[in-house]
Amino acid sequence: MARLDLEKLSKRYGDFFAVRDVSLQIADGEFLVLLGPSGCGKTTTLRMVAGFIEPSDGAVRLGGSDVTVLPPWKRNAGMVFQSYALFPHLSVAQNVAFGLEMRKLPRADIERRVEEALALVRLTGFGGRLPRQLSGGQQQRVALARALAIRPDVLLLDEPLSNLDAKLRQEVRVEIRELQRQLGLTTVMVTHDQEEALTMADRLVVMNEGAVRQVGSQRDLYERPADRFVAGFVGRSTFLDGAVEAPGRFRTDGGLALACAGGMPGRAALALRPERVEIAPSANTNMSGLDNSLPGTVEFVSYLGALIDIHVRLSPQDRLVVQIANRDGGFAPDVGQPVQVGWPAAAGLVFNE
Amino acid sequence: MTDAALARGPVVERRRGEGWTAAALITPASIFVAFCLLAPIAILFRFSLNEFVPSKKLMVEALTVANYVKFFTDPYYTTILATTVRIAVLVTAVCLVLGFPLAYVVARTQSRFKHLLIISIVLPLFVGNAVRAAGWMTVFGNKGFFNATLMGLGVIDQPLEIMFTEKAVVIGIIAVNLPFMVLSLQSVIEGIDRSVEEAAFSLGAPPATMFRRVLWPLALPGVLAGTILTFVLAMNAYATPFLLGGPLFAMMAPSAQEGFAVDMGYNPTVTNAKVPPDVQKRIGFTEEEQKRLRDLDYGYMAKNDTAFQEWWNKSFKG
Ligand SMILES: Nc1ncnc2c1ncn2[C@@H]1O[C@H](COP(=O)(O)OP(=O)(O)OP(=O)(O)O)[C@@H](O)[C@H]1O
Ligand SMILES: [Mg+2]
Repeated sequence: MARLDLEKLSKRYGDFFAVRDVSLQIADGEFLVLLGPSGCGKTTTLRMVAGFIEPSDGAVRLGGSDVTVLPPWKRNAGMVFQSYALFPHLSVAQNVAFGLEMRKLPRADIERRVEEALALVRLTGFGGRLPRQLSGGQQQRVALARALAIRPDVLLLDEPLSNLDAKLRQEVRVEIRELQRQLGLTTVMVTHDQEEALTMADRLVVMNEGAVRQVGSQRDLYERPADRFVAGFVGRSTFLDGAVEAPGRFRTDGGLALACAGGMPGRAALALRPERVEIAPSANTNMSGLDNSLPGTVEFVSYLGALIDIHVRLSPQDRLVVQIANRDGGFAPDVGQPVQVGWPAAAGLVFNE
Repeated sequence: MTDAALARGPVVERRRGEGWTAAALITPASIFVAFCLLAPIAILFRFSLNEFVPSKKLMVEALTVANYVKFFTDPYYTTILATTVRIAVLVTAVCLVLGFPLAYVVARTQSRFKHLLIISIVLPLFVGNAVRAAGWMTVFGNKGFFNATLMGLGVIDQPLEIMFTEKAVVIGIIAVNLPFMVLSLQSVIEGIDRSVEEAAFSLGAPPATMFRRVLWPLALPGVLAGTILTFVLAMNAYATPFLLGGPLFAMMAPSAQEGFAVDMGYNPTVTNAKVPPDVQKRIGFTEEEQKRLRDLDYGYMAKNDTAFQEWWNKSFKG
């Protein structure tokens, strides 16, 4: 295991930057997740670490030594591919043994470490099977065992769970995370699944258009998003467009005057998390203690089981999503019903343009 | 019947129907193979067991392996066989070595022009073998493109003897067979997940090891198909060895054709064709005329060649 440092890493295809100036420090034993929309450069970044893509600029340091120009077979990086990439002509045991044979270990050691690796992913006794005789989840675990068997300096996972069904994905998530902790593996995982990212990571990196937008813990990203993109990408936000008139005073394009925290005067967007907004039937306008209290009309209701999303029209230009828990005897709005919504000034995040 | 059996019922029914459909679909091809490929081979095999009587210049009905014994013991035939096999092996090996990298590049390219690449590989096959061989003749001849260029550049001062040698034949057959090898390999390599190669790299395998342990074993079906195809085509090559190898060079396919014709005494192979009476009247010979026909005396012809030419020039051209 080792620490991994990316220094101003860039990859250019012609004039197009697939990755631009990415600098990250990943501590020994840390689980870092790269999160971002499709095409934002996650895979490209990961493949530069693995050595499959040569960076146009910048450096990759593994355990303190510069590996930027080393070919993949000279880096000690374990990679799990989205398609698993098991060798179809080799048995499970031979797949896991492959990396150990490349390291020219004695036969007895190889056999022992193959057994260990298979036991780690709970596939003891499957060594003689061919990959095609395994289920998707089992193949995924073989791929993991194969990467772990070489005791890599860093474990790289490119959307390792995207080919599994929803239920299995939840189980494997926990399994990978536990293994990673147990072995103290420095790990970089790529995903565009937010829930996966939030449940597995020690730290997250949000990328967009090839650049890092924010690095931080789950709480950092959710409660203190660095910009409008992160606020919209991590969790959900409704954005009210308008302008900051003076610090603490926001006016929407629809003409609503709202109290907000901070912000520089000028064009801006006010972001609100749906679950931070209170809602009550219109008759009960007592929203005492909230800095903002506004009347509106229910325009759309979507029932999600445990939660209910209510879309409320505040003005011809302004619409807000409010999320409430689905409780017995709780508020059950109907479309067209007048309601009152409110939130504390601190719940609204201002992003200047 | 249980619910499960009931539920399965229609599925089984459909399966059976599919079986019939499949049988119906393969029937035409099977019939074609049986009548047009297997039957002639079977008939030829029966002929091969007949007795060969040189004086009659025809096969006489019999059941003997004499022809086979002769083929495998007569040095004339064994030499031809050895040459043919040697050349086929050489050609196949060269095609494999040259073809694999090319097939790999074609299979893995991300280029928009991939289809053009494939077409340019296949395009030479649109040229007939005889025409292509004629082309090679102009390249390899003593004053051909190849020698003229090398001599012009001063690399050599005597023309390299290529035309009418084994070299010319090997090069010619490789040129014909390479596309078959490349296409067989390319289609298989295309089906190999690129990330499998990368997985081998990331596990510590350098390219040569990756090739030996992963790419080669996975490409083996394509290697086999391409090798068999190329080998068979080389064994049966006709126009190329005939035109590029010259009269002294013997490979099986041209020799078989030649041997067949010679041993048959250049006799017509078709004797019972019916021609409509009016046509027969205009082109056919009468019984008397046929009796007056003589075999050509080549010695006499050769001696009097100049006299004939003069006579021809005087009476027809002049
Ligand atoms: N070989 C290439 N040539 C040109 N552009 C490329 C090449 N490879 C990737 N790109 C571009 O680089 C960008 C980043 O690609 P990358 O595969 O890293 O995205 P990603 O974040 O992994 O997306 P996804 O979530 O869809 O896998 C994309 O816009 C892609 O079109
Ligand atoms: Mg990707």
